[in-house]
Amino acid sequence: MSALSSHLLEEIKALPAKYPQPRSAVMPALDLAQEELGHLTPEAMSEVAVALQLDPGYVEGVATFYTLFHLEPVGKHRFYVCTNLSCMLRGAEDVVDRLKAAIGVREPGEVSKDGLFSYEEVECLGACEYAPVVRLDHRYEVDLTRGKIDSLVNDRRLVRSHVKTGVRSSLDTTPEPPRKKPVRRTKKSG
Amino acid sequence: MAEQRGTVGGPVLTEWFGRANLHKLEVYEKLGGYEGLRKVVTGMSAAQVIDEVKASGLRGRGGADFPTATKWSFVPKDHPGPKYIVVNADESEPGSAKDRYLMENSPHALIEGAAIATFAIGGHQAWIYIRGEYDLPYEKLRDAIAEAHAKGHLGDHPFGTDYPLDIRLYRGHGAYICGEETALLESLEGKRAQPRSRPPFPAIKGAWGQPTAVNNVETLSTVPWIIRHGGAEYAKRGTEKAKGTRMVTVSGDVQKPGNYEIEIGVTYRHIIEELAGGPFPGRKVKVFWPGGSSAKVLPGSMLDTSTDLDGLKALGTMGGSGGIIVMDDSHCVVKGAARLLRFYAHESCGKCTPCRVGSNWAVRTYERILANEGSQIELALLDRVQQGLQGGRCLCGLGDAAGWVIQSTMNHFRNEYEEHCLHHTCSVEGALIHA
Ligand SMILES: Cc1cc2nc3c(=O)[nH]c(=O)nc-3n(C[C@H](O)[C@H](O)[C@H](O)COP(=O)(O)O)c2cc1C
Ligand code: FES
Repeated sequence: MSALSSHLLEEIKALPAKYPQPRSAVMPALDLAQEELGHLTPEAMSEVAVALQLDPGYVEGVATFYTLFHLEPVGKHRFYVCTNLSCMLRGAEDVVDRLKAAIGVREPGEVSKDGLFSYEEVECLGACEYAPVVRLDHRYEVDLTRGKIDSLVNDRRLVRSHVKTGVRSSLDTTPEPPRKKPVRRTKKSG
Repeated sequence: MAEQRGTVGGPVLTEWFGRANLHKLEVYEKLGGYEGLRKVVTGMSAAQVIDEVKASGLRGRGGADFPTATKWSFVPKDHPGPKYIVVNADESEPGSAKDRYLMENSPHALIEGAAIATFAIGGHQAWIYIRGEYDLPYEKLRDAIAEAHAKGHLGDHPFGTDYPLDIRLYRGHGAYICGEETALLESLEGKRAQPRSRPPFPAIKGAWGQPTAVNNVETLSTVPWIIRHGGAEYAKRGTEKAKGTRMVTVSGDVQKPGNYEIEIGVTYRHIIEELAGGPFPGRKVKVFWPGGSSAKVLPGSMLDTSTDLDGLKALGTMGGSGGIIVMDDSHCVVKGAARLLRFYAHESCGKCTPCRVGSNWAVRTYERILANEGSQIELALLDRVQQGLQGGRCLCGLGDAAGWVIQSTMNHFRNEYEEHCLHHTCSVEGALIHA
């Protein structure tokens, strides 16, 4: 049995024709594979290689270069937490601490026991005016506070137990709550 | 969409921002959108388009300030095969969010600009390389391209002419280096994104070996306005040599962070204090990055510096990507610099030794310093590493930028570095960085 479904492999085989040179299909193909499996297993990568008539080592070399490809299992909902300078100035370290506690993991890449969550610390997400920011389920969640982290996590736990409820996503939907003051790290005196 | 944070109804780029559903073709067109592309394909020659843009004085907004018309004119006219416009929508410079702001609000302006540019170089196909994290802008562009095709503004017969124009999207997968134009082209070709050595320049041998002009999102989004109003009208704005308006993203320790359209030449004081609401009550601007994390820092005492691109160059820094990061007196410069060095080390593609080794060395040095293990040795080390990173020893500017962060923060805030290294204290934050 192959790692990737046969209809997906057909889709992948059709990709090279869309580009001036077939090699450009490698990332779109890995994308499809990752979407289906959640992460890229060695078998999936070699099936992509065969489908695109590329060397498996080459495909793996590409996959390992880019941070959005995951070679290890990840949570169903992945938090990509920006910790770069503008977010750091507005409390990204607090966000990371709170998130770790909320989903019950100790380090980036670790998957929560229920399989629902994992997080990664990432570089600037290009939304610095909304710092601190995370990317979650293909949307940006902005102006993060501890409370907001908790509700992002709880909403998704609820969705799982009650099946479908609307999960709010910020950059995309109507009125934002009023701006909160940025979370500042408590400072030692002196 | 989330609440806008930035200019709406500005002079050029944000002229129509704030109108409901500007991202829809119908709205954009009613306001005057696609007039530029119509004018170009139905009545102008490629040379005339280039001349109009030359008259505007427009310079690239991706960071290098290169004159846009000149870049287009480097693409050979008599090339027998395809030629490409590649849109750099990889925006990953820390502190820069303006391309996202433009694409989310007005995707058709970018599409129109890219189509005009494609016509100007005598090509038929543009590729937009957009960073993988930009889901919403990607969807906006995808839908807008589909609308433009359906309306017949793109495709085989734009505006009834026989000059085919097409635009395609390609998603990146998380690597800052993809913003560097030759690394971007490698990535577009399905490879690891490592910069190419030049020559040959992309204008001669770019995407898939064909002549290519790589342009930034903001640069191309400006072009339709220039065609509609004329280059001379655009050139009325700005300074003597740096024409027009540009976007800046203000972030960090300010009360109203956002993406603002400014006339080039206004001061940083105007941007930070008036547009972005200034620092929080009781705080002072200690330092700011005037053009993305890769621009050498300026101390708060230099807020009256002009945004004139050439003036900034004369100061040894740059307007760069327009990302203005503000840090107030409650934050530690050493810690901020350490965070940026971690970024550069992580994003170094590893191809050139000075960049790969130097940036990692700097990270380890900063870690020792912030763990209160610094001494005179670390101070001297940072200085040596900083020199080694600079000086154009590498294929691209990433290493230089890493060196500038160290050099410029040490230059202006030597006292904070000495406090950390020699006295193992931080009078600013006290707190230590997370390992
Ligand atoms: C390390 C590095 C990263 C860069 N990142 C970007 C980027 O994210 N977006 C961008 O438009 N230009 C970026 N540039 C500049 C591009 O190489 C190129 O100059 C630009 O896309 C040209 O477009 P323009 O002439 O319209 O500015 C980067 C350059 C370097 C050296
Ligand atoms: S620094 Fe976090 S989004 Fe830019």
